Amino acid sequence: MYGTSAKILRVDLTQREIRTEILPEDFYRLYPGGKALAGYILLNEMKAGVDPFSPENVLVIANGLLTGAPVSTATRYIVSARSPLTLGYGESEAGGFWGPELKMAGFEAVVVKGRASEPLYLWIHDGEAELKSASHLWGRLTAEVQEAIRAELGDEKIRVLQIGPAGEKLVRFAGLTNDLRHFNGRNGLGAVMGSKNLRAVAVRGSQRYQSFAADPEALMALGRKLAKGVKENPISWDLQDKGTLGIVEPMNAGGILPTRNFRQGAFEAVDEVKWDAYEKQLLTARRSCYACAVRCKREVAVNGRVSEYGGPEYETLGAFGPNCGISDLQAIAQANELCNAYMLDSISTGATISFAMECFEHGLLTLKDTGGIDLRFGNAQAMLAMVEMIARREGLGDLLAEGSRRAAEKIGGDAAFFAMQVKGQELAMHEPRGKYNVGMGYAISEIGADHLVVAHDTALVNPESLQFKGATALGITKALPARSFGREKMEHFYTLERWNSLEKVIGYCFFGPTPRSYIAVEDVITSINAASGWSLSVEDALLIGERATNMARIFNLREGFTRKDDTLPERLFQGLENGSLQGCALPRDEFEESLSILYALKGWDPQTGIPTSEKLRALSLDWAAVMLPQG
Amino acid sequence: MILRAGGYLTYYMPGRKKALRMRLPAARPLAEILTDLQIPLAEVDLVAVNRVLADLDVLVQDEDEVTIYSSVNGG
Repeated sequence: MYGTSAKILRVDLTQREIRTEILPEDFYRLYPGGKALAGYILLNEMKAGVDPFSPENVLVIANGLLTGAPVSTATRYIVSARSPLTLGYGESEAGGFWGPELKMAGFEAVVVKGRASEPLYLWIHDGEAELKSASHLWGRLTAEVQEAIRAELGDEKIRVLQIGPAGEKLVRFAGLTNDLRHFNGRNGLGAVMGSKNLRAVAVRGSQRYQSFAADPEALMALGRKLAKGVKENPISWDLQDKGTLGIVEPMNAGGILPTRNFRQGAFEAVDEVKWDAYEKQLLTARRSCYACAVRCKREVAVNGRVSEYGGPEYETLGAFGPNCGISDLQAIAQANELCNAYMLDSISTGATISFAMECFEHGLLTLKDTGGIDLRFGNAQAMLAMVEMIARREGLGDLLAEGSRRAAEKIGGDAAFFAMQVKGQELAMHEPRGKYNVGMGYAISEIGADHLVVAHDTALVNPESLQFKGATALGITKALPARSFGREKMEHFYTLERWNSLEKVIGYCFFGPTPRSYIAVEDVITSINAASGWSLSVEDALLIGERATNMARIFNLREGFTRKDDTLPERLFQGLENGSLQGCALPRDEFEESLSILYALKGWDPQTGIPTSEKLRALSLDWAAVMLPQG
Repeated sequence: MILRAGGYLTYYMPGRKKALRMRLPAARPLAEILTDLQIPLAEVDLVAVNRVLADLDVLVQDEDEVTIYSSVNGG
């Protein structure tokens, strides 16, 4: 088999046992890593109703087929388990260097079960693995732990994937970090790892991806082409120039910059947080993930010193900046550092604080609740204090560490209206009232409000644009307005969701392939086939993505999720308070009608959203039929 | 006029500059100006003249500050 070692490392923390499993090729063709491999393992090795913090929860860390290939943006791995935030299928992907290093160490995935009786970390090196005590690391910040592990093992090049103190404290939106700068932030999977008493997975390997590839020459040639091409495409060039921060100002102009807990779409102090200000006040250097030519990562100075945690990306800046009514870039960068040191998801942390600010301004939370902190929109010091309180579960932070949905249930009154979440996960910093399919993605995503389900609507509004032309190779033929639902728009969604899901299976970053960025559909398919020796068509590849999405859907249905969970916060059906889309709301009837259309396009029952037996058969998922709700 | 580029439109600006000062002896449609500069209109998603949203066919005066934005996506 090519493109993979096909080896999975299986770790039983309760028994302190480690073994290696080799996957057969016919299996790997159906589930070639990442989201697909994780979905299969979760469905088949965990029963329904498992407490996310129990030893029975299964934590899967899985590379994609191409993770570590010498091809720009093929760096991603996913972490998956039952999410403590949503109680559904949990998943979060990240780039960096850890996934490629795992591949070079001879493994595609790590499957962790049980719970250790004391804190441990896992050390993987060139085909071998061992568990080591982490008692001396417990409670320490992520930078300290990375340094300690590297010193202990005597190698500065070891890649450390770890949780932080927030994961140890079971904050429901605690994440994982590798190299202190790359994050599996979403869905609270750091808390799952914390519940298992597993602090870190350290990896070092010496193999090269080319040794796995069916056609290493073709792969290398494609890699050279993509390395050169990044500067020849305005979209990837812009990502290299400004990182993700370049979208702040255009989003504000378009009225889709989430501001003050999604009440508003424009921030009056945008000039203080847009890229020009960031570049002037914070930026010290640009960095990259493994073999990535896009280089969207940013290094920053915080209060006069270079941060060891990297700089805030757009989502973080949006969540702690405009969405909290804050324009202090230094404070935003400090919040980013705190999240990364304690390892919190910066989106859910910022959004939950924003929720608390609105509760405070409406009298649902008082100074007594906050411990005397004036938790109003715009108060940067209050925001910073609250990040630490959440990470440590101190005072009001203990309630907010449960996420906005659970906190709202405890607070009562109108608090539920202020909780901007779907399935328990807080919205990312993208405004659905200006991009309807982003809203549909928030609603239907199996992991709760996720902004990476489909390329955003704005990419496909002009048939002459580069992004639209890139998407035509996926079969998209008609440009449609960003603010529209309906059958044709759902056809866009269905195609783009399968494409994005494929990326999560094989290990490409959202900032690699078209239409979001610059890698052509043809080149993605070439890379898969050069690595694997297969002869996949575009349709074959889309089927792989669709299979993965369906397994995640089945996981949620098995946990009791229904159509009513594919919904959106009530606020989005009301008008924006300001900006160029002032007064614009999502049309509720069209949303519901389009949801039914989308279900049908996906081969699901249009009313219940349950995959039909015909669809399961087409996806070779017949085995999962018994897991679906009956009647 | 001052022409500013937001999002990835900076790529198309002369010298890849974020802003450009131009002399406009008479009012001209923005689309014509952008076409002269070889900035593809298909990539322009939003236009603001003096911070007020406008269309590509807006007539631009010498004293105006114009910002053009590309479409914005996620991530």
